[in-house]
Amino acid sequence: MNGIPMNSSQAMHNKIGIVGVPPLEIIRQLNEAQAIIVDLDEPQLFLPIDQSDQYLPRVYCAILRTVLLNALNLRLERIYVDVGPGKCDCALHVAAVLKDILSIPVVATRNTDTQSFGFPVCQSSLPLIEKMRRITKGVQSCQPWPQLPSCPPTAGFWGVPPRDFSILAPFPDSTHIYGWTRCMENKTPADLELESYCNPAVPTVFFAQSFCAKTALAKHLAARHPKALWVDCDVSAGSSARAKIEAFLELSGVLGGGRAAG
Amino acid sequence: MLLADFGTSYCKLLDTAQNAGPQIIPARELPRDFQADIGTGHNAKRRSTSTVNELTALARGGRRLISEPDFTLLDCGSRDIKFVRFKNGEMADMGWNAECGASMGFTIELLAQYYRLDYAAVPVPESGFSVTCGVLGLSSIFDAVAAGSSELEAAAKFVRGIARNAFRFAGSPERLHLSGGLCDNPLFTACFPCEIVPLGRFVLLEGLRASPQESFR
Repeated sequence: MNGIPMNSSQAMHNKIGIVGVPPLEIIRQLNEAQAIIVDLDEPQLFLPIDQSDQYLPRVYCAILRTVLLNALNLRLERIYVDVGPGKCDCALHVAAVLKDILSIPVVATRNTDTQSFGFPVCQSSLPLIEKMRRITKGVQSCQPWPQLPSCPPTAGFWGVPPRDFSILAPFPDSTHIYGWTRCMENKTPADLELESYCNPAVPTVFFAQSFCAKTALAKHLAARHPKALWVDCDVSAGSSARAKIEAFLELSGVLGGGRAAG
Repeated sequence: MLLADFGTSYCKLLDTAQNAGPQIIPARELPRDFQADIGTGHNAKRRSTSTVNELTALARGGRRLISEPDFTLLDCGSRDIKFVRFKNGEMADMGWNAECGASMGFTIELLAQYYRLDYAAVPVPESGFSVTCGVLGLSSIFDAVAAGSSELEAAAKFVRGIARNAFRFAGSPERLHLSGGLCDNPLFTACFPCEIVPLGRFVLLEGLRASPQESFR
């Protein structure tokens, strides 16, 4: 059992912040208590991210800077921060910062769940941005995924959900998702084997947030993949990152009449 | 059909209906209402009926101009640097450095005007500054001049630093095809620690010529 269990009266209609993918048991408790779950990894407020500079270095993971910005400015009852193999060491340190500066409980969890829920969204023909929205939203539920028809992949997106989803816009709907995002959907965020899996048959963009430890795995896997592009982005996707992805998809034959493979 | 490579400092134009070759026009002298049929570059979206991604244009231009199946092609523009690497005739790697490569070409041209330098007459320095971007590199020049270096020597070290940075960005190949206005800068091309094959300023235009018919699958 990870973290502090909560009863229904504690969570009823309260806003609970989560960071990363807390253990299923925690999510189940929050769902049972009808808590309003707020994903602190995503931008929730129209505030300049520089406001996080008071507590975190400017050169730091933009997701965790966003977490801090959200935690400082949202009225939350409690925060669950997943740390360890299912998230990252930086989250562990940010959890320590949050504990120090906030007056609400900040609970560090270590998600080592192994029960696979599958990843139908990753393999579906939904637009890539919609896939990503569903997967990140799905973290807030302990329920299994509804089945979706899969499609043959023509491209791959490997990595974490980007802070700025606009970099996903150029991908075709037949893009399959790999990496930690697939682990998120499967509800096994610490599954390194699943995270490391990619499809060599399809041109794949390996993405990580700048200054994230996962940049090492992204670069490594991209180097081994026969047709890969490694990209990192900080707070927002710059024009050069978007253009690189667009050119990669064009020159790989994915856009403008790409063929299915794998 | 009017093709245009809308660079930050210069616009390169080619009218395929005419026998004349491409033209180069300073970007600031381009009429406000000028429109091309197919464009690439920073200002292409507002000035063209249809646009082609710059890296795509570079890759397609390289494919038209270079007969080898394996090559690395680096484009050094005013504002950014970008490269494509082909292996066995297939695109194998690419990069576009708009942030840390900021304003390298622009700064080299600015320095020549400010210090009245003729780069053809500047000897290649034995060492250079560690330069990651044109703007930050200027500080190295001012510091060197303040410490007693000549302006010419400091500018040469800056150019060498820029060239070495671009070389590493392109993956440190043994042979490098070079595109862009800096092909005409003898100091810049001489500062690369590898064989340089200058292709000139119209590689992206060649890519635009290839756009309607070429596929990279």
